Amino acid sequence: MDLILDTVTFWGKILRCLLESLIYKIISKKKKNVAGEIVLITGAASGLGRLMAIKFASLGAILVLWDINEEGNIETCRLAKEKGDVKAFAYKCDCTNRQDIYRVADQVKKEVGDVTILINNAGVVTGKMFLDIPDDMVERTFLLNVLSHFWTCKAFLPSMIKANHGHLVCISSAAGLVGVSGLSDYCASKFAALGFAESLFLELNLVKKTKIKTTIICPYFLKTGMFEGCTTKYPLLLPLLDPEDVAQTILNAILEEQLYVIIPKIITFTLFLKQILSTEMTIALAEYLGVHTCMASFKGRNKADEVQTETEREHL
Amino acid sequence: MPSRHAGVSQNMAPDLNSTKDLFVFLGKSVFSVLEDMVFTLIPKPQKNVAGEIVLITGAGSGLGRLLALKFASLGSVLVLWDINKEGTEETCEMAQAAGATRVYAYTCDCSQREEVYRVADQTSHSWATFFVAPRIHQCSEKKGTRPASNEQPYHIGKSLHMQKGKRESDYSDVQGQVKREVGDVSILINNAGIVTGKNFLDCPDELIEKSFDVNFKAHLWTYKAFLPAMIANDHGHLVCISSSAGLTGVNGLADYCASKFAAFGFAEAVFAETVAQKHMGIKTTIVCPLLINTGMFEGCTTKFPSLLPVLEPEYAVRKIVDAILQEKVYLYIPRVLYFLVFLKSILSSKIATLLCEYLGIFNVMDGFVGKKKKD
Repeated sequence: MDLILDTVTFWGKILRCLLESLIYKIISKKKKNVAGEIVLITGAASGLGRLMAIKFASLGAILVLWDINEEGNIETCRLAKEKGDVKAFAYKCDCTNRQDIYRVADQVKKEVGDVTILINNAGVVTGKMFLDIPDDMVERTFLLNVLSHFWTCKAFLPSMIKANHGHLVCISSAAGLVGVSGLSDYCASKFAALGFAESLFLELNLVKKTKIKTTIICPYFLKTGMFEGCTTKYPLLLPLLDPEDVAQTILNAILEEQLYVIIPKIITFTLFLKQILSTEMTIALAEYLGVHTCMASFKGRNKADEVQTETEREHL
Repeated sequence: MPSRHAGVSQNMAPDLNSTKDLFVFLGKSVFSVLEDMVFTLIPKPQKNVAGEIVLITGAGSGLGRLLALKFASLGSVLVLWDINKEGTEETCEMAQAAGATRVYAYTCDCSQREEVYRVADQTSHSWATFFVAPRIHQCSEKKGTRPASNEQPYHIGKSLHMQKGKRESDYSDVQGQVKREVGDVSILINNAGIVTGKNFLDCPDELIEKSFDVNFKAHLWTYKAFLPAMIANDHGHLVCISSSAGLTGVNGLADYCASKFAAFGFAEAVFAETVAQKHMGIKTTIVCPLLINTGMFEGCTTKFPSLLPVLEPEYAVRKIVDAILQEKVYLYIPRVLYFLVFLKSILSSKIATLLCEYLGIFNVMDGFVGKKKKD
């Protein structure tokens, strides 16, 4: 009896879902108002972090900008304030360090308030074959690209739950959906970030039934310098992405409260193919599309041994 | 849009190259389809692993132990790692009883990078110091009985482990144990895993870090330790025991999911590297089981056990070993997972979530009790 009720409810919900998506194809989904929301962006000193900060500034949000690069961060602050009467706060924070995250988080809570939109964007890539990556670089990639997400969520989620209001944004990558040669540590970290964001979404929405939203972004290559030197074999199929376009897409996704955003959408198709083709065929396809060679001429932004962390969102 | 193509540096390839590539791709696809058709009629050949050196982490219990016993019956040389000395000891004895002639047991905390390297190095070379060599072989030669003296091979591992930090200088020329004493590992099975099973905000930070250290970072260090030799020999097999929680998020398992996703992504990326660098002799198998009844997820249930069963360990091990012997790259068990992952790739997230909710996937952890914590 229970089972029948469950099944009927299930199909009812599916139907509603399909109708909803049909309607939203005709009329565009309502975008929420973020004026006055406290938006925290990690890795805000450059690239995608900076672009997102500026866009949120023009929407009237209060910005909290974190980066280990103080200079770049202050510059982002300045650019954001050019958008009008904008409140923006820049903090230097080493997101590879849990204690630092907690310390600066406490500072933010005292000086600004409770963060309502958390954008975990800071990321680093080494871009070498796995055996050529020094151990501490592998650890660093992991600390920044995924463990920092755990600590920022620990810091800011409790107040979101209390207020039953908030939005968690995870900047993962297309490299968080499929392993790529030359990106072993990066892939692992982006996979983990995605898995964490997904699990947390389920905990918050299905179990606790809170109104806290989650958005997971998986973009391909971005032309921000983080993946300088990378190539794409068929630019018509998979072009290198314009950071401005991507930042706008991400903003729209957050305002429309979408869960997954894969940029460009064709990657969704390749993932679908990966499920239906045999492994050998997938390898042949990947070879044909040049996926294995895309990292071959990787230069990146800074040298791997420099202290400065890359703080842009990257692509696959 | 000039900006769109600004980043492309090499694809001004002449049409001829593209056509050649296309033909190569089509050719490989056709071959692959034919191969698949043939293997639906005849069973896929299974490779012989007699004499291969198989290293299994987390061999002290559960899946690791069962894998060890299976490989023992196939004539492989076993290298057993676990943080639990008694467990490894027991597995060692059981393996001998199952027919293994060479079994090496080490106590190793896989979450510690330096320890992994130290214990790993020891296998490759034969270290002819008197107090090591005879002890190592005692475990394998005296089947079923403990050596008369109270010195045992696993104690060697442990004593070096205990002396780490304090007397490392005494062993400065000892890089690690496994490489010296056994040889080059040719089948690496990263199986060790822990689960905390707490809601994210209730999970202490140290436990989150521990989850990652054991479930994922251990894979990094074992790969670093053993992959170079595999590449040099162009012969090896990397087995990653991930989880269905490495394919989709599960509530109550935020840290576990993240670590299993990481293990999967890492194994897949390195697999892509072996393909890109044309190391044909190095194989990869990534295993994603749902729930296996070993005690690790004690208390967990599934809503539709006929569709999504809690697997019996023997069945799981059989499937895993078959996949390794057939050099399969991805193994999802139970098989319905292939279909569910396929659905996840085509359905909208809302519908996929509804489906998972209906299938009870989000209630799997409700009754979680888990294994009794080890020291």
